[in-house]
Amino acid sequence: MGKLGVVGEWIKDRKEHLDLFDETNVHRQGNPFYLLGPMVYYFWLITIVSGLLLMIWYEPTTAGAYNSILHIQHEIPLGWLIRGLHKYGADALIIAITLRIYRMYFLGEYKKPGELSWMIAFASLILAMISGITGYLLIWNQRAFWAAKVVLTVPIYFDELPLIGQTRFGSAIAYIFLGGPAIGQATLTRFYMIHFSISVIALILTEIFFQRTRRKRLNMSLASVLVFFLMLAAISYLLPAELGRRANPDRTPLPILSDWYFLALYQFVKYTPPLWAGLGPGLLIAFGMLVPFLDRSKGRRPSERPFFTVVGIMALVYFLVFTVLILFNIAVIERDPPIILAITVVVLALGLLWEIRYRRRQLGQLVSSPKPAENPASE
Amino acid sequence: MEERVNRRTFLKLLMGVPAFGAIAAALSPLLRYLKPNLPPYQLNPLTVGDKPHGSPVVAATLSELREPWSYKYFTFVQQYPQYTPEGFKNATVPGVVIRLPRKVVLPWEWAGEKRKESDIVAFSRICPHLGCIFNYVPEWKEITSGYGGYVPPPDRRHALMGCPCHLSIYDPADPDVPGRVLSGPAPRPPRTFLFAVKEGDIVITDVEPGGIA
Ligand code: FES
Repeated sequence: MGKLGVVGEWIKDRKEHLDLFDETNVHRQGNPFYLLGPMVYYFWLITIVSGLLLMIWYEPTTAGAYNSILHIQHEIPLGWLIRGLHKYGADALIIAITLRIYRMYFLGEYKKPGELSWMIAFASLILAMISGITGYLLIWNQRAFWAAKVVLTVPIYFDELPLIGQTRFGSAIAYIFLGGPAIGQATLTRFYMIHFSISVIALILTEIFFQRTRRKRLNMSLASVLVFFLMLAAISYLLPAELGRRANPDRTPLPILSDWYFLALYQFVKYTPPLWAGLGPGLLIAFGMLVPFLDRSKGRRPSERPFFTVVGIMALVYFLVFTVLILFNIAVIERDPPIILAITVVVLALGLLWEIRYRRRQLGQLVSSPKPAENPASE
Repeated sequence: MEERVNRRTFLKLLMGVPAFGAIAAALSPLLRYLKPNLPPYQLNPLTVGDKPHGSPVVAATLSELREPWSYKYFTFVQQYPQYTPEGFKNATVPGVVIRLPRKVVLPWEWAGEKRKESDIVAFSRICPHLGCIFNYVPEWKEITSGYGGYVPPPDRRHALMGCPCHLSIYDPADPDVPGRVLSGPAPRPPRTFLFAVKEGDIVITDVEPGGIA
């Protein structure tokens, strides 16, 4: 068997243990943390169905988009509900994916044979966020317009990279996504297509998975299904989904925010030079995808892999702190980044020290115990 | 050691090269399908005729800008040859013209003007960071309260410019680099307009090329 065979074997094994949403590989079905997988699937379906209904009335043109949403929200019977379900369903989806990723991270579920499950879960978060940003441009309000402009200007700075920058691929990315030299109708059309097709393609792939594996589609009780639906409906009624102000290319409002799950990233963009605003998230995504291969520790419990636990907690804390900072509009750009950098380095170093000490101690135990095979840490 | 690359695997790999090439060749038209039908703004025009044209616009009259720190917003329309039905595509560049209390060296190297001094400056309000539209803020205290808490040093406690998006702060009256970045992620000062004073009018004729429209 050649190298390809080894890879094929690896993939086959992971596929067998693949856990997209159903969590049927887990024995702790009663634990509410294991409802997160089915929740992801359920909220995703709600978002898709309500999105299809919105397409009946939505008009993807720069002149008509905002009006058509006003129309949906205020005039179409139950329009507010469909829009609310779409918006809050998507928010719930992102919350559920995030919590699930954190669960997988802290419980070491990404370890063999869960690597593929983890990578798919992580990629789905990225895709959900891309759907989110392409989706809120469709409203064509101020927030949407400036977010799209800012996001699509970031790749232009990739042209500053040594060597590969020469190809001007950054500008090419911006140009292709904008559909022209600046934000306009073509941008709206392309974003609409991306927003729609991410879910369509993913849905087809999941359906293939369910067909092949005969797993349960929605591993959730009817009661939960109803409760979650009523929750979303209630929020849509009490807190109608926002519209914001119509896009105005000649005025950037102050302050301007983005959807809640981008706020931390937004604060990060304020703190770093523009090239890093693009590279930073890229590295973060790469790290997330590769975690199962970077973490070579044996144990699954958080205390058995100190360094990665520290990294996970740090990511969570930064997400929360940055979000709070931006909500209170605090960003002293001369003062904050060095402090943050220093904290990061110190915390990472401490994490590393803890890891080394832990490993030393493990080693000591191994040496002192006569039969290392009985050590619970070995697989 | 089965893992070593033997002749057969090597030949197989070699065969992959033309196969890969064929796939790439088949896919390349698909990539072209993604290409927008409007060309990007020609930042380095091939011929003189392809250069973007701006129609001169009166930004303000001198009498409107008598007081130091007085300012006025205006919009400059630039026309790019974009082979649209009208022949040209308009890009609007919002700007601000400011009367400063002292003379500064205008950063007009891009227009071939060196060491020209003036107490009037005109900036493009397109933020050189990521393209939002920044504001002229007459009261520096408003910068501190509204733009993230930046406190300017004592010698810069006057009108400043601030961007709502990522809080870049610019000093329009910096004697060496008008528009100097005081704070924030902006990589350079904002671009400037070329202007001339004609019969009491401040006439904007051109804008520094580059950046995001
Ligand atoms: S766009 Fe102005 S600071 Fe980022």
